Amino acid sequence: MKFGKRLKQQIQESLPGWRDKFLSYKDLKQLLNLISSAPPVLSGSVEYVRAESEFVVLLNKEIDKLNSFFMEKEEDFIIRHKELQQRIQRMIAKSGSEASGIDYKAEMRKIRKDIVDFHGEMVLLINYSNVNYTGLAKILKKYDKRTGGLLRLPFIQKVLQQPFFTTDLISKLIKECEITIDSLFPAPAEKKARGEIEAITVAGEGIFRNTVAALLTMQEIRRGSSTYSHFSLPPLNLPDTDVIKSVQLSSPIPIP
Amino acid sequence: MEARPALSIQRSGTQQLNNCGASGALSTSFPVLPSALEEKYPNLPDSQQVPVERQFRPCTSTVVSPISSSSGVVGHMFSSSSGLSTDLHFSSVSQQEKHSRQSLFISQSTSCGTSMLFQQASHSGVLHSTASSQYTKENNDTSWCTDSLDFLDYPINQNNPLDSCNTGEILPSEDLNKRNWEWADQLISDDDALTSSWNELIAETNVTDPGLKVEVPQQSTTFSIQQPQASQQLPASSGETCPVVPPTPSGSGAPTKQRMRWTPELHEAFVEAVNKLGGSERATPKGVLKLMKVEGLTIYHVKSHLQKYRTARYKPEPSEGSSEKKHALIDDLSSLDLKSGIEITEALRLQMEVQKRLHEQLEIQRNLQLRIEEQGRYLQMMFEKQCKSGLDLLKGSSSNLENPLTDLTEPVLKSPDKSNLGVSEGNDHKMDEVGEKQKSPENEVPENLEATATDTPNSPPPKRAKLDE
Repeated sequence: MKFGKRLKQQIQESLPGWRDKFLSYKDLKQLLNLISSAPPVLSGSVEYVRAESEFVVLLNKEIDKLNSFFMEKEEDFIIRHKELQQRIQRMIAKSGSEASGIDYKAEMRKIRKDIVDFHGEMVLLINYSNVNYTGLAKILKKYDKRTGGLLRLPFIQKVLQQPFFTTDLISKLIKECEITIDSLFPAPAEKKARGEIEAITVAGEGIFRNTVAALLTMQEIRRGSSTYSHFSLPPLNLPDTDVIKSVQLSSPIPIP
Repeated sequence: MEARPALSIQRSGTQQLNNCGASGALSTSFPVLPSALEEKYPNLPDSQQVPVERQFRPCTSTVVSPISSSSGVVGHMFSSSSGLSTDLHFSSVSQQEKHSRQSLFISQSTSCGTSMLFQQASHSGVLHSTASSQYTKENNDTSWCTDSLDFLDYPINQNNPLDSCNTGEILPSEDLNKRNWEWADQLISDDDALTSSWNELIAETNVTDPGLKVEVPQQSTTFSIQQPQASQQLPASSGETCPVVPPTPSGSGAPTKQRMRWTPELHEAFVEAVNKLGGSERATPKGVLKLMKVEGLTIYHVKSHLQKYRTARYKPEPSEGSSEKKHALIDDLSSLDLKSGIEITEALRLQMEVQKRLHEQLEIQRNLQLRIEEQGRYLQMMFEKQCKSGLDLLKGSSSNLENPLTDLTEPVLKSPDKSNLGVSEGNDHKMDEVGEKQKSPENEVPENLEATATDTPNSPPPKRAKLDE
């Protein structure tokens, strides 16, 4: 249940609207327990067969759920991306004509914040996709292990092609975003400034918090388990884990 | 041929079925059978199989036998229906489609025919082959539908429905069968991609776990997952506004909630259309739909997208628009302007760093996962090959199998390590550390490898060569 706990943690840390859109890992696991406790199919048990089919039905339902949510968010992002681009173009046009007045500065700040948040949300969506995929892979592995079935391999092949896993478009948008952001922000502050920044703490349910949580969770999940096999991912070693951890997740000072 | 995404399959399936049903139900009760088979799921209270099989498209070969065991007239029906099911594509995944068809058919079908069919269709209900919709995916749906309409254009049964139910059914069924074969052939020959996916489908059913129930869901997943393949291809298509959307079923009363996958190109076309119509406030879904001229796009898709678009546009504007409020705010800020400005920027920068980091890691993780699965597939293939040749080997000498096993595990143990390193070539130091850490856990023999059959020592080197890029 280690992954289950991590997943739960991650869900709690995630954006409010997303919380019930994650994989129902626990339900699947419970069904799996039912299957392995029921007598095997060879003795003609109806319960076993029923539980098994329920399992698969639930899997398909979950995939539909994941797909729907993902595609909806994707659509939102496409729209927002376009809008941000337009805003920035307008800004650039204005900056030529107007002097950098107060309006301009305020606007600039707003745009910067919006675009960074936008970037963050997109990354969180990819994280969503990944976490759910991991969950599916794990539950399928358990299924095969417990029932001796061969569901995992073909099923995972299908999952790999699902919309919620084919995140290429979002990645592309993210990269474009990063390029835009680089152009929008002034040259990075010097190294010493970073030391000060480490102390900054972040607000409750914001995107930054979720991102940090996601990174940490990812590291935890991949720490290595008793069932480590060549199908498992290697442990995640982030060089500045300290920095990230120092960003305290329950904070007094919100970023406006 | 346009690549239509998965979703289109479902829709087209429904569309055809609706059309077929519409004309068929008028003439004989036989054509109602396919729909009846679908409808029976909610109708039959007794069989436990019903809710389970609802979403499944089981291997037709395994289900045919129970069908033929049914009796009498019904038996004849089933053989034809099984023929029908193996060839035709009246299957659908989603419930809403069934509902929409139900409403159509129930209103049109004769009561006697349907009740009889329902009763006896209990076993054959699960017969719809999944490949059907794949065919329709690639083909022009309208042409298919007109074909079906033509052939179902039997003279309307003027006999007393109660008496002639049976007779009325039997006659056209054979004809139908032949026609079905013709269609199937035609559709099969139409597109290579279709045959390959069909073959894949068959291969899936053969490969999968023995036991109907387990096989069944895999087909459904095959089906449901075949669809996204096309949608995946779509974003890659350059610049064209390809429809990422299924065609609407004609005659369906309920608004379809088919999930459509938007792309930036499509959105561009959308925005253009909206602007031509005078802006997001003035534009109507109907007008936009007409202007966009994208096949398969429904008004519901446009409506919801327009709504999202409006929200996105007008939410940020109020903050820009009210300059008074802004000035008041800024006056407060202006005193702290310089310092807070820098702080804010720096905070944002940090946020960006973390986000970028997460993104990076996610990409790496995703690549790793893909590689792992690829490798798993490869191993599976090797295993199967070995199984076949292993049987021969066993007949020969059993002792030789022992040694290759140990030889195999070592090189294979190393290869995932290498593959991981290979993937992460871009991230030097990080992955080196990771690679090192990975080696120690890998000294345990992975459970999956134990199951892997032995192979000649020649195979690991080529596999490593393949993975070392």
